Amino acid sequence: MSDTISRRNFLKLTGLGAAGAALTGCGKAARYVTRRPYYDMPEYGALGESTYFATTCGECPAGCGLIMRTFEGRAIKAEGNPQHPVNMGKLCSRGLVGVQGLYNPDRIKGPGRRAQRGHDQVTALDWNAALDVVKQALGGGQKVAFFLGLSPDHIADLTAELAQAIGAPAPVRYGALGMFDGRAGLAEACRQVFGEARLPYFDLAGADLVISFGANFLETWLSPVAYTRGYSQFRRSAATGKRRGYFISLEARRSLTSGVADEWYPVAPGSEGLAALALGRLLAERGWALPLDASAVDVDAAAQAAGMTRAQLEHLADLASQAAHPLFIPGGNALAHAGGLAAARSILALNLAAGALGQPGGLYLSPAAADSSSLRDVQALVDRMRTGQVETLFIHGVNPVFELPPALGFTEALSNVKQVISFASFPDETALQSDYLLPDHTPLESWGYQRTLAGADRPVYSAQQPVVVPLYDTRSSADVLLSAGLLPYSDEVDFIQKKIAPLITQGGNVQATEIATFWARFLQSGGWWPVQAALAAPSAPAGLEAAAPQAAAAPEGQFHLVTYPTQMGDGRGANRPWLQETPNPSTTVVWNTWVEINPATADALGLKNDDIVKVKSSAGEVEAAVYRFPAIRPDTVAIPFGQGHTALGRWAEGRGANPALLLAPALNEAGDLAFGDTLVTLTPTGRRRPLAKLESTAGVYGEH
Amino acid sequence: MAEQIKEQVNERWGMVIDMNLCTGCNACVTACAMENNIPWVGEDDAGYGRGIYWMRIQRYWEGEYPETTPSYQPVMCQQCGHAPCEPVCPVFATVHSEEEQINLQVYNRCIGTRYCANNCPYFARSFNWFDYSYQIPEPLNYYLNPNVTVRRRGVMEKCTFCVQRIHAGQEQAKAQGRAVRDGEVVPACAQACPADAIIFGDLSDPNSRVSQAARSQRSYTLLEALGTEPKVIYLKGEGTYGG
Repeated sequence: MSDTISRRNFLKLTGLGAAGAALTGCGKAARYVTRRPYYDMPEYGALGESTYFATTCGECPAGCGLIMRTFEGRAIKAEGNPQHPVNMGKLCSRGLVGVQGLYNPDRIKGPGRRAQRGHDQVTALDWNAALDVVKQALGGGQKVAFFLGLSPDHIADLTAELAQAIGAPAPVRYGALGMFDGRAGLAEACRQVFGEARLPYFDLAGADLVISFGANFLETWLSPVAYTRGYSQFRRSAATGKRRGYFISLEARRSLTSGVADEWYPVAPGSEGLAALALGRLLAERGWALPLDASAVDVDAAAQAAGMTRAQLEHLADLASQAAHPLFIPGGNALAHAGGLAAARSILALNLAAGALGQPGGLYLSPAAADSSSLRDVQALVDRMRTGQVETLFIHGVNPVFELPPALGFTEALSNVKQVISFASFPDETALQSDYLLPDHTPLESWGYQRTLAGADRPVYSAQQPVVVPLYDTRSSADVLLSAGLLPYSDEVDFIQKKIAPLITQGGNVQATEIATFWARFLQSGGWWPVQAALAAPSAPAGLEAAAPQAAAAPEGQFHLVTYPTQMGDGRGANRPWLQETPNPSTTVVWNTWVEINPATADALGLKNDDIVKVKSSAGEVEAAVYRFPAIRPDTVAIPFGQGHTALGRWAEGRGANPALLLAPALNEAGDLAFGDTLVTLTPTGRRRPLAKLESTAGVYGEH
Repeated sequence: MAEQIKEQVNERWGMVIDMNLCTGCNACVTACAMENNIPWVGEDDAGYGRGIYWMRIQRYWEGEYPETTPSYQPVMCQQCGHAPCEPVCPVFATVHSEEEQINLQVYNRCIGTRYCANNCPYFARSFNWFDYSYQIPEPLNYYLNPNVTVRRRGVMEKCTFCVQRIHAGQEQAKAQGRAVRDGEVVPACAQACPADAIIFGDLSDPNSRVSQAARSQRSYTLLEALGTEPKVIYLKGEGTYGG
């Protein structure tokens, strides 16, 4: 040996030798693995190899592909799947923190029966007894109801078949993220404009001008990672002469998405559709063939109602008419109003007039029909529950007691349901109101698939497989439902294989001649998708009805309320300590709820940062600390959604406020909640509670 | 044998962050925390400014309503070539590594004087005021990364450019008898970044993606006048003017 071997490399070589020895050791001891935290680490670091599994993120319905790094049977780090058409190796905060759900100490660890709804006391149940309960309940025929979340899709498919087999009404599928996206309205507007009730996919990457009407596509809208990828391409200038894309945003509050816009117009909540229609008229004057008659729109009046000037609208029309590939994106904030459907129609019509249907830089229709329900369906379920038509309610993947506005009466209606069976993995608010807890595995322990609806340029079946052995005595909900023997599938994997079997003959990234090989490759690559981009071009319609929604100004002393989802998603992220500690991008607040108020308004009300204010609407009231937010309309206040849990474990409980309490159950034409029409009053309480935020610690010691 | 294990000192790791693409979404912040076993401190301690962030998104507001515009800037340890934190450490816990050409924190040397944090112009260093990691309840600590040390109370910590990933990449390349490929070593923040705004690589290779990006006319470094020679280079956003 020469003297060039450093101490470091000597240790490395010794380590490699030891690893080789460990791999060949097949003795008795190798069979036994004890899980121990890394505090008790062997002195010379960790030896061994990581194993990587492809699966699908279960934190939101977008269905991004994951490559999960595991080490000694533990899930360590979520990484994006570089081959996956939705996220191409990228991830958002929620997906990255998924392991804090898997290893959350507050999980429901086994089946149980709650002695009394709303009380903590749960008697442990044997799974055999639990399966008997399910079997008996499924015999209830049409008195059985299913309430499902937006993911995963295989549970929805299975439940739909099961409901049909026992003669029960079709499952209701709903969640807060669908509510904030205004998905029912978006799908319905697509049906009216393009003839098919599907969700649109906007090819941001190929566009050179984007005008967003309240779409927070960099945060939670439909498929945020896919849209952020698209945005990244949109912003690059290329040697091919492609110029950096120009981004304009119209919404009442400057969100993270609007924050990176080149131009932001704080339009009045509810006036987005009117602004789009006025823009349409100006574009028609510039020679665009608008599929609806916008000539009746008074541009000056529309501009005034929206809080803009005619010159600004003319400027937008000039930019749009000069752009090669303009896109107009209808977001949830524009759709969540009484006239939301008309607004969505007007905005989609602008895309149609721009002529970019089914072309790069244009609008496509996603392959699968939007299979989420509208809030109207939820309301129908609540009515059935209230009138005693539901004997057994199965709940999976959704937390309606927290996510739905209490004014809808879901919690009260539950008292008329004889038995409530929850499949929740966490002790959330709905599980607290359930009689039986039959916990499902968390997504990282589960089989499944998710069809990605609106985040890829091709149809995708994203594969979900367990990356670790289930930690507790939990059981797959699909297996629990199949155990009743009402469907011709032996277990969950058999069901999934039968569902994906037709894909074998369709070509795509995964090729095989029979299901066993196809299944192995399907799991290995993280799903199935065509090799080439393949989405349908929407067809152009005959003629559309132009309806100008009327935006009402907030009366004196009242304010528009904007509620928006954060990295907590539909609220399930609140029990992940690192999502709580990741600063909100706009305010840098952590671990709590705040009320965003324009400083001018706050001055008029005598409110300083961290003053607690009571926010009251016709439906209810909440209290939260003031954050003087410089980029919000003076007649509007905003409260983020996701906190204010009364259950869900130690990190979520008793923290912040839930703005759903303020939302009145007013539905629009499409069956979406018109939460954007909510008006609130503000009353200072005289109390203060400093918000923890990254940007400054001034104030926490009691100064000012 | 001696040839094979010769020390490789020719890589100079660096990072370019394109402000044109950054959306300020904070995915990098979370990714960094999950990769590097960064503990959370809870609401009260976060309020006292004890939060541990190896990288953060600085958000500044410019202009008056309705022209209020935020600017988001990811900031982590700039891995200075001439680092103000290094000479002030009385116990040589804050050292410049010869092998990776970055600033490293040797946790078992650190005695917690916090002189380094005091002297860092980028506020890149976080101090463990309490045993946050040791308070993680089981089984939540199962996801901790075995390649990264869990820090105790009284220890300073900061961004390492994911040095464990650099080593993994170097060892893999060495095992296959080749040089490290451009793009083979990716820190957690760059890997997660949905907008692909962070480029990481070898600045000593003029053809690497990071070197090419660093030669852009839009490039600048933070607090350039201090002469710290940062290895994190920013590209000015095209939408910002006069900044």
